[in-house]
Amino acid sequence: MLADRGKGAVFVPAFGAVAAVLAALPFFVDLFYQTFLTEILVWVLFAISFDLIFGYTGLLSFGQALFFGLGGYAVAIPVLKLGLGTGTGLLLSVAVPALFAALVGYFSVKLSGIHFVIITIIFALIGSTLGESWAWLTGGADGLVFPAPPIDFGLFRLDLMDIRSTYYLVLAVVALSYLFLRRMVQSPLGKVFVAIRENEERARLIGYDVRFHKLLSFVIAGGLSGLAGGLYSVSLKYASATFLHWSVSGHAVVYTIVGGAGTLLGPVLGAGLIMSLEHYLVDFLQATDLVVGAVLVFMLLLAPRGIMGLAQGRRK
Amino acid sequence: MASNLAVAVMNGIVWGLILALIALGLNMIFGLLHIINMAHGALYMLGAVAAWYFIELTGNYWLALGTAPLVVGGVGLALERGLLRTIEDKPLVTIICTFGIMLALQQLVLMQFGGTARRIALPISFRFPLFDLQYPAMRIAIAAISAAVMAGLWVFLNKTRYGLWMRGVVQDREMAVALGIPVHKVYMWTFVLGSFLAAFSGVLAAPIVSVDFMMGREILIMAFIIVIVGGMGNLWGSVVTAVMISLIQGVGSIFVVPSTATVFSLGFMILVLLVRPQGLFGE
Repeated sequence: MLADRGKGAVFVPAFGAVAAVLAALPFFVDLFYQTFLTEILVWVLFAISFDLIFGYTGLLSFGQALFFGLGGYAVAIPVLKLGLGTGTGLLLSVAVPALFAALVGYFSVKLSGIHFVIITIIFALIGSTLGESWAWLTGGADGLVFPAPPIDFGLFRLDLMDIRSTYYLVLAVVALSYLFLRRMVQSPLGKVFVAIRENEERARLIGYDVRFHKLLSFVIAGGLSGLAGGLYSVSLKYASATFLHWSVSGHAVVYTIVGGAGTLLGPVLGAGLIMSLEHYLVDFLQATDLVVGAVLVFMLLLAPRGIMGLAQGRRK
Repeated sequence: MASNLAVAVMNGIVWGLILALIALGLNMIFGLLHIINMAHGALYMLGAVAAWYFIELTGNYWLALGTAPLVVGGVGLALERGLLRTIEDKPLVTIICTFGIMLALQQLVLMQFGGTARRIALPISFRFPLFDLQYPAMRIAIAAISAAVMAGLWVFLNKTRYGLWMRGVVQDREMAVALGIPVHKVYMWTFVLGSFLAAFSGVLAAPIVSVDFMMGREILIMAFIIVIVGGMGNLWGSVVTAVMISLIQGVGSIFVVPSTATVFSLGFMILVLLVRPQGLFGE
């Protein structure tokens, strides 16, 4: 507990400083990099939501892409077909995927280990297969292009066709989500998640409802993955059935493993590092996935606790 | 109609036997090493791509069928010795690790081979009449070769010392160690054999489907379905399931849209996972 409190004293100024730097950045970098930063932030949110279910609760879900893709459609379809606002769409991008996560999770958390991995892949595959064949609703693999209406905050209107405003929206949502998740993993609820990860049997014997807590973690992670998907489609003005494919979950897995699972900060660093690496490599190497795959494999073998593990190991 | 149905049944059996080989490799690796090999589809693809290069070089399909799987078996050897050996006792870590290997292999092939799909000419161009349609004899040959390899595998597992060791390790790993079976060597050769089988079926499938760097992605999922429905660790359950699923999909796709058939088979797989996680043919 004392160690936690010590970290808190560092955390507040550090978080404030990082947020201030990120908020100031659009005044120093051009539109291309503003878009790039927006994209990194979206994947950061996807990665930390995956970290909750994998890093903290110990469930390896390859099905997060389902919720990510659903979140994209939860914005695109209401805006395009029902004429709703972007703000409503973003709320739906949490609610709809969370609802689906409750359904998928209800069945999935009955299984554990590799069976859980496989059933989440299958659910995502059903989603992407239906998404591609219901082209009248989803636009199929071509996707839906939509204009994002401005969000009215009362005091000011946020024009989402503007790249910088979109960046600030994404930054604010991702920062709040990070604080939300950080608060949660430090709360007694978060300790239960970790207890389940460390020893399911023991957690059950202490008296915790393991299945309920797994489901809860799955639903929260699903809702936040959906929010990431919603922000992604708002920033691209585009949603597609290809986002539903299970392999999209691999992004979150890679960022989380490379950064360090079960740390929240790790996936943020992992996403930033890997995406920057891809960005600089793509100029002289066509196959960035080769590097990503190689980094993933070597981190697993040489530093299974990721960048965070390396940093903490150094300190001890 | 009758001829359509006959072709669907024939195709279902041929494709089912190819799938059975892939699933057997995946299932052997799972049953012995407890590794869910996400790179299995990529090894299948690697077999087909290697075969394409061999055919470019020599013009002989049968030579490619003999050599390409050996090359991929070598790749499997390197992967097991170099990467997987140290993490074999951690199932979740190996899933992520083989996922990384899959990404790397696919992109490596994309760099060398390019993104366009290529075709391999049928080495046996003879066709025979099936009702009022012509059916390529090559497909019958593919099915026969696949069945022969499976028969060979059965003999290997049941009549040789290595096969006995492998079955022993599956039954009771600790007892096997105590009895002096070189368990790590058995692991290694099982992974090599699994990679070999994946590549072999890749070469067999190459003249039927087109060869490209993503061809393993859908196959991986099919192989998963088969292994789970047939029972993890139950090799012959995989063979029966492969042919069964392929027949159902082949014949079913005459009557319903392919995506509907896919969704139904995926839904069926969820049902099996929840109700009979040991598989339809498991004890």
